[in-house]
Amino acid sequence: MDTVPSRSASPASNGDDPELVARFAERIARGDQIEAGEWMPAEYRFEAQRLIQMHANSEIMGALPEREWIPRAPTLARKMALTAKVQDEVGHAMLLYRVAETLGRPREEMFAELVEGRARFHNVFHYPAETWADVAIIQVFVDGAAMQTQGALRSCSYAPYSRVLKRICYEEDFHIQLGLDVFRSLAEGTPRQRAMLQDALNRWWVPILQFFGMPDRVSPHTEKMLAWRLKVKSNEELRQQFLRRFVPIILEYGLEVPDPHLRWVEEEQRYVYTEPDWEELRRVGRNGGPKSAERLALRQAYYRQHAWVREALTRWRAAA
Amino acid sequence: MSASGRDPAAHRWGRRLEAPPDVWAVFLQARRRDPHVYVGDVHAPDPEMALVLAKESYARRDPCVNLWVVRADHIYTTPPEATDVFEPATDKSYRFGGSYRQLQKVYRSSWRLSHREEDL
Amino acid sequence: MAGVLGTIADPALRRAFREWLLRTADDELVIGHRHSEWTGFGPDIESDVAMSSIAQEEIGHARVFYEQVAADEGGDIDGLAFGRPAEDFRHAVLLERENDGWEFAIVRLVLYESFEALRLRLLEASGQEPVAGLARALLREERYHALFGETWLSRLAQATEEGRRRVQAALDRAWPEALGLFEGTEADDLLLASGLLAQPPTSQQAEWEGAVRAVLAPCGLVPPEEAPKTGGRRGRHTADFERMLDQMTEVWRSDPEARW
Repeated sequence: MDTVPSRSASPASNGDDPELVARFAERIARGDQIEAGEWMPAEYRFEAQRLIQMHANSEIMGALPEREWIPRAPTLARKMALTAKVQDEVGHAMLLYRVAETLGRPREEMFAELVEGRARFHNVFHYPAETWADVAIIQVFVDGAAMQTQGALRSCSYAPYSRVLKRICYEEDFHIQLGLDVFRSLAEGTPRQRAMLQDALNRWWVPILQFFGMPDRVSPHTEKMLAWRLKVKSNEELRQQFLRRFVPIILEYGLEVPDPHLRWVEEEQRYVYTEPDWEELRRVGRNGGPKSAERLALRQAYYRQHAWVREALTRWRAAA
Repeated sequence: MSASGRDPAAHRWGRRLEAPPDVWAVFLQARRRDPHVYVGDVHAPDPEMALVLAKESYARRDPCVNLWVVRADHIYTTPPEATDVFEPATDKSYRFGGSYRQLQKVYRSSWRLSHREEDL
Repeated sequence: MAGVLGTIADPALRRAFREWLLRTADDELVIGHRHSEWTGFGPDIESDVAMSSIAQEEIGHARVFYEQVAADEGGDIDGLAFGRPAEDFRHAVLLERENDGWEFAIVRLVLYESFEALRLRLLEASGQEPVAGLARALLREERYHALFGETWLSRLAQATEEGRRRVQAALDRAWPEALGLFEGTEADDLLLASGLLAQPPTSQQAEWEGAVRAVLAPCGLVPPEEAPKTGGRRGRHTADFERMLDQMTEVWRSDPEARW
């Protein structure tokens, strides 16, 4: 096994043979994909592992806002569908942790790091799901936002990640269809339901825009990620893609876009919008969001509750 | 064994997949006549648990009549760098029927009639 | 689909079978709800996913039985599931208990699945269509539920001393209320007398005990010698269920005009 990546700063490529690094860069530039057993620069391994681990963390933490509504789902059909949807997210976490594991870290180690609050997950999952309508907004717009990034990364350079993303995108498509069904029921429902839906949209709008990250500045890190094809489209490209696809849905159902300054600029072929608070994004990303502490504590509580179960299975395996 | 391109033994075949010992590769048979196909992995403490868990991890939506599991680190692999060895370098048309078609007028007659595809 | 209740001419028998169907639906809904609470919190990701499937299937089974009741009354299944007060529910108290650790969830699942398989076989044997045919299909899913439960039970109870202790404690807690699954009412007498169901609750219990002891014994587990704790079949439920029902119907009750 090659060098195990450190958890702090990205390791310098000093230890890697420059000829191998050059050949690697050529392969990526040609459009090649890298498989798990192949040689890769230590820095590539570190960046890929961190990216995929954060994605896995986000799927498992992302289950938390929605799962609060499973016990409260207002019909039997919605109860089953929501359980299945959240189950899929947990399943995606399983697939993604396995991919991250192929880059050198055991799953248990990554999981322990997450529940101890030392790992990161996407900003959107640090916010509360206050009403049933939040479920609709999350399934249409939050999953919709994630689809933009995941869709683009299907052509990334790490083959195991690329393969898993294809499967994930296929299932996320069902989620958005399901979400649109709930969304439609509320948008075309009673005045109270419509108001609940608009309120949820209002609360989620800024975190969703923030999800794509700041407009990219030219930085050595971003350049490297693009060159290695661990990043395929820029943050702004993806945000614009999202707006083009999802603003029409809001308008189609007669809801208000929660940003009075959002408008399409024909000459520039893009949306302009109120600049989100990037400091908030940074703070939330460091586990400083409204629900971060509570959700991590909940995860940690279950993790500890299950410690004896893990121990039992470890002993069972050893005795086999 | 390191996957460094400079390792002299790296060109030899017989390397095991690197995976933790609790990872199981899952093979799914969609319908009775289908071959088992690799669909992904599960973590599990033993083979029975791996099969029980694989059912819901991989056969929730996709049709399935049978599952296999094997420890991922018991799988042997050709080196990923050796893909070029699999690429044919010279004409292999002798393996395919097309080049013989024109020479075999017999093909269209009694031989073919007695070996219809549905008999196979 | 046409309901089975419409095929029963005698009103008293129809009422009895309605109660029996509702009891079955309520059992499945309540246990499905409790299983679904593990989504996102299972001991490992794969078991989380599997338990979630089991939850969905139980709720799906509940739906099948609510549909049978609703077909006869012209009501709707969500009205039955979300619109009744606690005292109108007929499930066994074992199933409404809060999830008290993974070991309790597994013990409860094993005890209940054995009962459910027995009940579905009885229904299949009744020949009353369409539920007899439905029972056959549902039995297929229950087989996996039992397999999942027993696979987990044997490992939890045998791998470590702490595991054995915890699982035995969970069994001690669950057993008396598990016996409540067999609480009989006048409906059972009528169903037995008419020949619709072939086995009285006492005989079902004996068969069930034989089956579960055969699973428990190899794991070194021994059921406690305790009297049954009943009441669920007559609508007497606990504070656990009051809280659960309150939460389960929260959104549904919030806007009575609404379609969700």
